[in-house]
Amino acid sequence: MPMVRFDGVSKRYPGGTEALSNISFELARGEFAFLTGHSGAGKSTLLKLMLQMERPSKGQVFVDGDCVNTMKSSLVPFLRRKVGVVFQNHQLLFDRTVYDNVAMPLLIAGYQPAEASRRVRAALDSVGLLGYERRNPIELSGGEQQRVGIARAVVNKPRLLLADEPTGNLDPELSEEIMKLFLRFQQVGVTVLIATHDIALIERMGHRRLILEHGALHEREAYVR
Amino acid sequence: MSAKHSKGRQPRIQPGASAHSIGIKDRLNSWAQQHQLVAVETLMRLLTKPFGSIMTWLVIAISLTLPGAMWMTLDNLSQLSNRFQASGSMSVYLKPAVTDSDAQALLARVENMPGVADTRYISADQALAEFRATSGLGEALDLLPENPLPGVIVLEPELSLPQSDVIALAESLRGESRVETVELDTAWLDRLHALLALSERIVWVLGALLALGILLVVGNTIRLSIAARVDEIRVTKLVGATNAWVRRPFLYTGLWFGMVGGLVSWVLLAIGWVLVSGPVEDLAALYGSEYRLLPLSAGAALVLLLGAMLLGWLGAWWSVVRHLHQIEP
Repeated sequence: MPMVRFDGVSKRYPGGTEALSNISFELARGEFAFLTGHSGAGKSTLLKLMLQMERPSKGQVFVDGDCVNTMKSSLVPFLRRKVGVVFQNHQLLFDRTVYDNVAMPLLIAGYQPAEASRRVRAALDSVGLLGYERRNPIELSGGEQQRVGIARAVVNKPRLLLADEPTGNLDPELSEEIMKLFLRFQQVGVTVLIATHDIALIERMGHRRLILEHGALHEREAYVR
Repeated sequence: MSAKHSKGRQPRIQPGASAHSIGIKDRLNSWAQQHQLVAVETLMRLLTKPFGSIMTWLVIAISLTLPGAMWMTLDNLSQLSNRFQASGSMSVYLKPAVTDSDAQALLARVENMPGVADTRYISADQALAEFRATSGLGEALDLLPENPLPGVIVLEPELSLPQSDVIALAESLRGESRVETVELDTAWLDRLHALLALSERIVWVLGALLALGILLVVGNTIRLSIAARVDEIRVTKLVGATNAWVRRPFLYTGLWFGMVGGLVSWVLLAIGWVLVSGPVEDLAALYGSEYRLLPLSAGAALVLLLGAMLLGWLGAWWSVVRHLHQIEP
């Protein structure tokens, strides 16, 4: 059973614009893939479909074997707990510490404080931010904030990690660091899909590429470095 | 990137499996802990930053104090009217032909009737003398060929005697051959009771309106606090918060609003009681009574507090249901 399966998915917005048309693809468990395309090509929409932040107009979306588009809204939170998400604007809360930001998914999932604390430290360690627990995210640099966002996305040990332009605001060196970080998660078995328009970076890294163009999907198989 | 990270250590995160190993018991525990945590957190937020919500507390408190005060007043009035009811004395008018000795014999019999606390005989002559003294019609009375006033037995029933027994007693006295008529003044009591019932109804209507006011005030305050936390709600939903989880802090906040408002209204009612009870005792003393104003009963106070908490919770619920589903990641 693949981790992600899109089956003839189209998404038409009320205005009439078709963001996605007849998209079909699969992501195997533990796969690492890029999703590219010019801005406005539908990358964000495609990611949102996997979290039921949007619903397709046609077709079906499966995540971890569950059909997402017909899923009851009461079950959606449990889907989202299985999927880690990283955004370009990282969606951190500046009214609380780094620790509280990263611990949020654990609190929601009902972890005991001691266990949560252990996991938060492990997640912060994995993104190289151990010792930043008491800091406020607003004091951190863009790259550090992005890494806090990644720590929050992986703290719950998700099976699927989605990232929407995670390096959008970062310089090339930092971008590569962030990408290497994602690769490490893939190496321990997490399925990773990264939406980005940073073609140069993708060319350097290799891996499978899903290319969105005017709502249609073209695929370029991974070419080995 | 930090030095730590550039060493290229492997991440310690392991995928999947252990994220779903939380047992039912742990879940229940953590659910209870969650409630406790949210309850304490929201209460602390309210108490440590009271200025944002102090108006809401006061509006709730005043909305509760008005019906509370009226309730207290009615409670006191109905206590008073119960006393009057118990002391519903009656006047037994004797037939003109009845002599003083006959009247004394009747008096002795009436005294021993069950339910009779006290009796007093006013002879026709005494009644005339009293009337002459108080009416100022002395000379006119002299012109009458005979005393027009009957002898009267004034009868006080026992305090504990129910009204139906008092009426039965009056009926049995009416059947006596020497008795002309028995006057039992209950009409004004009936009117008082009707008035009390009406006032009680008014308190309920007013209470219902003010309760609606509390709902709206709490609902509006919660709406503002939802608006202030839109980002937080989006993020929590994105990382898997259920609707119940998102609702919880707002519902507790509503509950605490109600509780604090209820407690403040207790204080206001207590102040009101202290201010009024002195003058009431003075007034009662002028009527020769030792009546003391009763404070709000413990039961009523509890109803007030719990009602306030329920209203706060409902107001929050109403607001949360209306606004929360609009906030999606």
